[in-house]
Amino acid sequence: MGRLVLTRREQTLRGGQPLAFLIGIVTALSIGILLLVISGHDPMAVYERMFDSSVGSPKSWSLTLNRAVPLGLAGLAVAVAGSMGLWNIGAEGQILAGAMMAAWIARIGEGWPSPLLITVMLLAAISGGALLGLGPAIARAQIGVNEIITTLMLNEVALRLLQWLIHGPWKDPESKGFPLAPMLPGEARLPDLFERAHWGAVIALIVIALFGLVASKTAWGYELRVAGSSGETARFAGISLKRKIMTVLVLSGGIAGLAGGIELSGNADRIVEGVSGGYGFAGIIVAALALMRPSGVAAVALLFGAVQVGGLSIQTMGVSSSVSTILQALILFGAIGAGVFSRYTLKRVRKEQDSIKAEPNE
Amino acid sequence: MSTPFAVDLIDIWKRFPGVVANAGATLQVKQGSIHAVLGENGAGKSTLMNVLAGMYRPDSGEIRIGGSQFWFRSPSDALAAGIGMVHQEFKLVPSFTVAENVVLGSADRIIRRSSIESQVEALAKQFGLNIDPARPVWQLSMGERQRVEILKTLWRNAQILIMDEPTAVLTPGEAEELGSVLREMANTGRSVIFISHKLHEVKEFSDEATVLREGKTVAASLRVEDTDTSKLAGLMVGSSPVTTDRPPDREHGPSLLEVRGLEALDDRYLSAVRDFNLDVHSGEIVGIAGVSGNGQRELAQAIAGLRPVKSGTITINGDDLTHALPVERFRAGLGYVPEDRLGVGLAPRLSVIENAILRNYKQLRQGPLLVEEKMSTYCEDIVNKFGVRTGPLNEPIAGLSGGNLQRLLVGRELSGEPKVLVAAQPTRGLDVQGVKAIQDLLVAERAAGVAVLLISEDLDELLTLSDRLLVMHSGKIVGEFDPVNAERQDIGAAMAGGAQG
Amino acid sequence: MSEASMIGLLTAAVSFGALLYLAALGELISEKAGILNLGVEGMMAMGAVTGFMVALETENAWLALIVAMLVGALFALIHGLFTVVLGAEQVVSGLSLTILGLGLAAFVGKNAVGRPPGAVLAPVDWGGLSDIPWVGPILFSQSPIVYFAIFCGVVTSFVLTRTSTGLALRGAGESASTVDASGHSVVQLRLGAVAMGGALAGAAGAYLTLCLTPQWTEGVTAGRGWIAVALVIFGAWRPGRCAIGALLFGGLLALKTRLQTFGVDLSPILLSMIPYVLTIGVLIVISIRARNRPSSSPAALGQAYRREER
Repeated sequence: MGRLVLTRREQTLRGGQPLAFLIGIVTALSIGILLLVISGHDPMAVYERMFDSSVGSPKSWSLTLNRAVPLGLAGLAVAVAGSMGLWNIGAEGQILAGAMMAAWIARIGEGWPSPLLITVMLLAAISGGALLGLGPAIARAQIGVNEIITTLMLNEVALRLLQWLIHGPWKDPESKGFPLAPMLPGEARLPDLFERAHWGAVIALIVIALFGLVASKTAWGYELRVAGSSGETARFAGISLKRKIMTVLVLSGGIAGLAGGIELSGNADRIVEGVSGGYGFAGIIVAALALMRPSGVAAVALLFGAVQVGGLSIQTMGVSSSVSTILQALILFGAIGAGVFSRYTLKRVRKEQDSIKAEPNE
Repeated sequence: MSTPFAVDLIDIWKRFPGVVANAGATLQVKQGSIHAVLGENGAGKSTLMNVLAGMYRPDSGEIRIGGSQFWFRSPSDALAAGIGMVHQEFKLVPSFTVAENVVLGSADRIIRRSSIESQVEALAKQFGLNIDPARPVWQLSMGERQRVEILKTLWRNAQILIMDEPTAVLTPGEAEELGSVLREMANTGRSVIFISHKLHEVKEFSDEATVLREGKTVAASLRVEDTDTSKLAGLMVGSSPVTTDRPPDREHGPSLLEVRGLEALDDRYLSAVRDFNLDVHSGEIVGIAGVSGNGQRELAQAIAGLRPVKSGTITINGDDLTHALPVERFRAGLGYVPEDRLGVGLAPRLSVIENAILRNYKQLRQGPLLVEEKMSTYCEDIVNKFGVRTGPLNEPIAGLSGGNLQRLLVGRELSGEPKVLVAAQPTRGLDVQGVKAIQDLLVAERAAGVAVLLISEDLDELLTLSDRLLVMHSGKIVGEFDPVNAERQDIGAAMAGGAQG
Repeated sequence: MSEASMIGLLTAAVSFGALLYLAALGELISEKAGILNLGVEGMMAMGAVTGFMVALETENAWLALIVAMLVGALFALIHGLFTVVLGAEQVVSGLSLTILGLGLAAFVGKNAVGRPPGAVLAPVDWGGLSDIPWVGPILFSQSPIVYFAIFCGVVTSFVLTRTSTGLALRGAGESASTVDASGHSVVQLRLGAVAMGGALAGAAGAYLTLCLTPQWTEGVTAGRGWIAVALVIFGAWRPGRCAIGALLFGGLLALKTRLQTFGVDLSPILLSMIPYVLTIGVLIVISIRARNRPSSSPAALGQAYRREER
């Protein structure tokens, strides 16, 4: 008998993270089974449908890919900030800002040649997200204002701004009083890659790979690692911490903004409130599971994309699509839990050590 | 049987990842006595005390208090058994008042501010501790904070008080005051355990002494009166005491580091270095002594470019670099060994290579890319030349020992072939071999004509290595000594702020 | 602007304010102990759905409220387990809790959508007091949860400043190792605070579905959890100032639907940005003031604590 105490391992287990990730998936699926059984569904049938609809055919792969694009870019945005120990909780709002900028370009650029319009839209989207990242960046770099809160607050601000646009200036006169923006012009739509998948997947992959390369191979990436490891050491090495914080948070916002632009141009008929679709928050989980590494971000995003597509498909079986939301959160909790054990182990403390025992004096 | 010991620690073992901190340490303290625990840095003193105070759980061993065996799960168990500890880094809540800090953990359920303040004040008076209970702790000096810590243990009515290197932050005058407070506590029947590596304090304050080396007790409960300091020193360092010989005198060259009228501010924007003038010549080691917190840290940082200079000039090898960036100073010939090895000098999560190239990575570029071969060659050169024992070079440095970290750091700073080397506490926390290796490096640099500024709290080190010894107090130089002929007493008086030299 | 509409606005400000205040108080307690919990929105959703479901089954609104608080506390303890015991990143764990809570609430409440409530928390009858002009309708016609929120604010303020538990709890948020050395259990203090935070967020959720908008729909929390997080900062981690902030933010929520009544030509949507913008402003002021003295934000907020780490 005795009590269990968490004790630090002499050395961190190798390959701990992929294993933890796997354990997370298994944990999530198991708890999912429990929930489904309790609510009177056949869990195996549900999982089978989720699997088929997300990776069972080229078409399902294309749907999964489309979801993985904003997840991966949002995840990268969080990971870019995370590489310096900063938290960008504002990807959700930055996605909206990117989508708004892209929608604005689509409004004024109607009739432009499609490649030009799309390029300008995506560049505008990047600048929109970056702009939303700029405020927290300046506040953090110059005054030390906690970026977690500022980025979080700006999510809500961006959402209200979009709501206002849709209810007011951008309201479609032909929408019969509904607060809807007009349909996007055809030339603003990203071309298809295969089945339902659009070219966003290629753009996202290039951006993720590019950042991965820059981060690991260039002097700039090295400076980022030093700054992320210790601010004082960075100053010592002549690296301007303020400038790095600014760059990283603005870049992070820009990447999230790009996700918004692609999402609008690739997946939406018109700009709506739900265009960010929770990708910004899910991106934080994606980045955390990927340990802030770009390569990991791509893989986790693909998995989460599949889970989300699967979640939508089971609605026809009378199962709430929220199953996929639950699974995503549970994967993370499972993986964090398992990850802890790659660094710590449980040690049993002997019973007699567990209580203060006063022996009689000799 | 005679009266049981107030504290009896038997065969204590405690391992941390990669380190055995205690390997069968023992300690016996008589009730009503002041007992010194002596040992070099890294001898396991703090760990043993943390075991006694319930902060660490020993891997094996026995703790007996007043003859009864105890197993401490947490500090609260130790407190319940009457053990209070004053840590080296104070455990105080800066935003709380003195009184709130004192009563934290043992107040009545409902707290009335005025009542706890008057109670704390009364307790302080009883032991001759001068402090205002209503002031927030962040406004207090280090000496005052220590008094709060002592009050905390008295408030708990602790019968056993552990003090971890209490005088490190005090002026000699304050230290003397502390000595009488401790004596007062012993006179009231309490037992005081007092950790130190300063021999004259041990001699002055304590009744008995136990010496630790490499986690083991090498001498237990020596009567201090009957033991002379050289014996204690011998026990501390073991069979191979540090005998870095005094380097032979040599001719000094031109002045390479010139500081004129320097003023620099501390983190609270108060003046920490004032009206400071200094010359360090080629082939000379200038030592700076002083009680910690008298501006040494800020001086080193100002010279290294890590702290803005308010007024005055800093000239290195003829170039005015008062406001230059740290990198520019490195290129101009300044090497800097900061006092915070990890966190300023090195980045703990990065690899050996990444740390080795920190000062010079821009030279290893090709376009925007860092060239990996150049990086590893640069790193290997340092590792080989300075005998850094490492694992794979692309693994994080966190696993390296203190001595090897310092070799890597010093090696990197010397890789730029500096004209001026500023070393702040370069041997602190190192084992005997590490200390020797670093000291030898400093001497070798001196021989090569480098101007060395050595800032240290170890007076013996300063006396051995320096060609000139300056004493700092309140941000100014208050005395200059010839290390060969100076009297320790005079240096001590200068450190306390008395005008000398 | 008529007197009646002014009274209506203030009455609504108090009842919306109480909702925000409950959730914010919970977050304040948690943050005071050093744990940032961004799961408020999820905990609120869980409280909202369980409160509503229990009321459906038992037709007992009080039981529903108690169960919602329990569920909120248990749910918060997931965050507690991961951040306090296992030392996981608080931001990630908290956001995951929000996502999990929103998902679970939607899953659990799927069949309750659109159903009429089983029971509601009716306003307290204060007798003659409610006839006092202005004060009567604004203060003495409210749901019992409003008084519960005020009670919680007073108790929290008292416990934090005047009791030894409160001192230790604040200490855990300022310097965990100090509190540990003083003999308190940092883990217990922090878990307790996190659970309290969950209970109050759960109560806020139940207040929504049992009183303010007595029905369950997915997304009924509508981002109010985030306003609660903002409110803690706006109130500079003080229960009293948070109460003022709650009235202000509650007033803004109430004003949103009444702008036209007051003849103000301003988009209600832009109005609802104000709390977030104000909070950013307050945070900037706090950060500037923190330059040469301890910040009003708990110093150890967001930091895991494990004793033998060195």
